[in-house]
Amino acid sequence: MFILDISKNYNQVLRRVAASISAGNLVIFPSDTVYILAVDPTNQKAVNTLLSFKNRWTGKAISIAVSDIDMAQKYVDLSTDTKNLYQNLLPGPFTIVSPGRHRVATGIEAENGTLGIRIPDSKYIFDLIKLLGKPITATSANLTGRTPHYSVSSFLKPLSLKKKNLIDLVIDAGKLPKNKPSTVIDAVGSEIKILRRGDLITGSSQTLISKSESETGKIAEFLLKKALKLGHNKAIIFSLSGDLGCGKTVFSRSIGKKLGIIQKIISPTFVIYNQYPLVNSSFKTFYHFDLYRLTNHFEYQEIKFLDHFIPWTLSCLEWPENMGTDLFEKLKKSTHLIAVNFTYLDQNTRQISFSFPY
Amino acid sequence: MYILGIETSCDDTCAAVLKDSQILSNIISSQINLHQKWGGVVPDIAKRAHQERITPVIETALNRAKLTIKDIDLIAVTRGPGLAIALGVGVNTAKSLALQSHKKIVAVNHVEGHLMANFLTNSHGLPRRPFIFPALALTVSGGHTKIILIKEIGDYQVIGETLDDAAGEALDKSAKLLGLGYPGGPVIERLSQTGDSTFLKLPTPIPDKKILDYSFSGLKTAFYYQIKDWPKDKVNKHLADLAASFQLAVFDTLLRKYALAIEKYHPACLLLSGGVAANLILRRSMRSLAKKYKLPIYLPFKKELNTDNAAMIALAGFYQAKRNNFANPHTLDIDSRAEL
Repeated sequence: MFILDISKNYNQVLRRVAASISAGNLVIFPSDTVYILAVDPTNQKAVNTLLSFKNRWTGKAISIAVSDIDMAQKYVDLSTDTKNLYQNLLPGPFTIVSPGRHRVATGIEAENGTLGIRIPDSKYIFDLIKLLGKPITATSANLTGRTPHYSVSSFLKPLSLKKKNLIDLVIDAGKLPKNKPSTVIDAVGSEIKILRRGDLITGSSQTLISKSESETGKIAEFLLKKALKLGHNKAIIFSLSGDLGCGKTVFSRSIGKKLGIIQKIISPTFVIYNQYPLVNSSFKTFYHFDLYRLTNHFEYQEIKFLDHFIPWTLSCLEWPENMGTDLFEKLKKSTHLIAVNFTYLDQNTRQISFSFPY
Repeated sequence: MYILGIETSCDDTCAAVLKDSQILSNIISSQINLHQKWGGVVPDIAKRAHQERITPVIETALNRAKLTIKDIDLIAVTRGPGLAIALGVGVNTAKSLALQSHKKIVAVNHVEGHLMANFLTNSHGLPRRPFIFPALALTVSGGHTKIILIKEIGDYQVIGETLDDAAGEALDKSAKLLGLGYPGGPVIERLSQTGDSTFLKLPTPIPDKKILDYSFSGLKTAFYYQIKDWPKDKVNKHLADLAASFQLAVFDTLLRKYALAIEKYHPACLLLSGGVAANLILRRSMRSLAKKYKLPIYLPFKKELNTDNAAMIALAGFYQAKRNNFANPHTLDIDSRAEL
């Protein structure tokens, strides 16, 4: 067993991992959630090693990580609805279970022939899969029934020598942020079911469920990551609509924090917007608007509303309803506008739906 | 010293002329009829048309003080915090006035202005108020909620502030939830007088006694969801009770943290200012709090000095000039998120 540091000689480490996995070995690898056990899911000998490491009884599926939806379709059948799920939620901390095509080794698919697919939001895993040209297993690096691990040392400590001998390489990326393992979504039937709760809970391909302020924060983070992929050629706007007290300000604050703002992010209702210069970010400015007090179109001209949304800015816009459809359509055309809607389900539960401009 | 104050940090275009701390004129655009006087240049509907209003407002302020720009010794302007585009109008006007007429200029923090509102006097120099330091100020408005320790003029420490909504904003929004329009702080105050403030039970935000910060967003949310499913006639029947309950919850929170701050910092004097300080119930509660701790309390001597105005900016500017803290009229810029 060798431990390699991924921050040194990245390409070399990755080639070494690819060679090891191709040869049928077990590698401990960092993901966007926890450390994972990576083997070639089409190699029976490798899968057997993985199962005996995990003490996993057969019949329960092992999820696999792919690079994109095309690779996924080689291993599972995707309905139109499931394709929508992929489009809206992946890459992200979700495992989507679909009917398998039986192209993996025994022990990977569940007894009922279904298979869980992940597209992790991780450059490391994406690069590795590209290099291999095939998927890897993406089960969390823990023994069945035990808690997952966020650092290599906490993973290795309780392992017996016999277990350690099953591992060829350990790839150390330091302490991973405390994200829960992925949310597992069963998309086999006509209605989706949540089999395991991770940080993000989904209700459909474009809705997420929050049960607390911190979950709303995680949702904001997830949507921010997706937004970053829209590019900087236009301003990025989160247009946040919905009931009072549903977490719009919490959402905005989480976005601001994630962009590196250390000052308090307080309600902009009175001043209409707050402007935060950004230092360690690919954006120059974060705007936090609240249009609550702007009820007629004169007022938008007075504050030169549209002039704010230039490339390299990111904005959270509360009460977009107040700007009227004309202005909203203009804004939609000239920016990357992500519409996010907050709905009250019960005292602690909010449904957050989103739609991206693609 | 004659000081011209200019304040455009948010909604109102304001200008004032002071002779030291004495108000000679104090013009707030929403309180005068520019429309009539200036041939209808400013549409009624525009709230923040600072660019159109700034010149007539300054001229009116000078006229009422019976002075011209030549008589002015100092220009004081709000540089922030506030709405960037609004601040820009005031700062740019102040800069070009200073350059054209060779006047000194100072850049004032809007919140410091609110603190100074307690020390403004009328044209006879009344009320006479000695500075007593350290003073503990509670500044409560639609945009700010802060507890500030004043060691001396110019030396401020924010020891508590809102983490989300301002107290005035919470009151305004509660009015909207009751269908009373926005802003509704004054309506809430009026209704409260006949309401039962124990009618609705609301949570206590940030009960931790070590924390002096405020949070009003949870209070607003709790209020909203308690009455969300009520039929309209039930809400209307209990309008006064609901207003009184919500207002009490906000003021209790304000006073609870403020009392903790008094016990922690042992001030020699208490100050109250900001738009919400115009509320009689808050003023009364603050006075009884001051009595309890046997401390003197200052409130702005006129009601309109609580809300945004340029006289308070001019006075803050006066003391800044005494400290030789002048701004360069060529390079002065706004700071929309200026800290005290």
